[in-house]
Amino acid sequence: MVADELDDATLVARARDGDVRAYEELVRRHQDRMFRLALRMLGNRGDAEDVVQEVFLTVWRRLAQLQQDAAFLGWLYRTTTNRCLNVLRSRKPSADVDWEEIAAPGNQAGPERSAQVSEQLAVLNRALRELTPEQRACWLLREVHGRSYEEIGAAVGASPTAVRGRIARARAQLAEVMRPWR
Amino acid sequence: MAMTPGYEPYLLPCGRELEQVWQNLEAGRTDEHEASCRHCATARESLGALHAATAELLTDQERPSGALTDRIMSAVRAEVRRGDLLPLPPTELGPVEISEQAVAVVLRYAADEVTGVRARRCRVRVADESREGVVLVTAELTIAVAHATGVETAAEIVRERVRAACANRIGFELARLDVHIADVYDV
Repeated sequence: MVADELDDATLVARARDGDVRAYEELVRRHQDRMFRLALRMLGNRGDAEDVVQEVFLTVWRRLAQLQQDAAFLGWLYRTTTNRCLNVLRSRKPSADVDWEEIAAPGNQAGPERSAQVSEQLAVLNRALRELTPEQRACWLLREVHGRSYEEIGAAVGASPTAVRGRIARARAQLAEVMRPWR
Repeated sequence: MAMTPGYEPYLLPCGRELEQVWQNLEAGRTDEHEASCRHCATARESLGALHAATAELLTDQERPSGALTDRIMSAVRAEVRRGDLLPLPPTELGPVEISEQAVAVVLRYAADEVTGVRARRCRVRVADESREGVVLVTAELTIAVAHATGVETAAEIVRERVRAACANRIGFELARLDVHIADVYDV
């Protein structure tokens, strides 16, 4: 059976046995979404790629510690989130320069495609930068990556209730920027 | 002030929580107050704009550069654990050893070739007992079995194939093979 037909749990079990090809399939399967999370967190492609590389190397080293093979994706999200928050903490406060103008859906397809990127999305992207890193992480994990409150809580080290609160605050802040209602 | 446990609610000038407006918007419903309140109407508009922009963000096709997988994998390969070395049957030229990982690959592959079976973990050890000129090993194999495949039948065929592969492709005799069924999956 070829690796790309196998389920995650099977690949994780094999990777724990030291099967590099199984791990490579896991990397191919999940690197894009980890990259998108890191990109929106950090606003910079180079930093985002570095984070993704470190995450997959760290996870490989610690595979033996994973209790349940099915928990792999949640673990990836948690590791990626943590790594991004660390990077942001180590940045100098004035490091706005690190933010690239990531237009989003399809900005690599050339200027014509970029021009079609809605103004609203551009506003949202700018507004996201204004959130605290923890708020941004909570909001992205929930609204873009569809993770559960429990899982997000584990990723940012907060209770599910606190996560709900952060997301509500983030949403209020984002909505206000989208179009002021007062 | 009305408190929602755990966090301070964001209140609109009319006294309604923004979160409630959001929940109504997501559920596609509206109530009497919202229908007649201008604050709620404005908030609903902003949240609607956020909702639309978020939907666009969901179609995000940003991808890392094509070289990233290779970069990750070469870092991973540099740290590969090969496991214990097992002695192959001695040759005239001297001893040869094979890594546990390499044996496990052969055994897993043999199990994988059985229809409706996915090999997961595989541990191989040299057996405690020994026989002149033969390397006896014990193996522990975890598999997942397709729902349609009978578990007992699957385990039986796996046992047979793995035993044969171990003898023919490596030259070890399996003194014991424990098969664990970890999962049953739907095809």
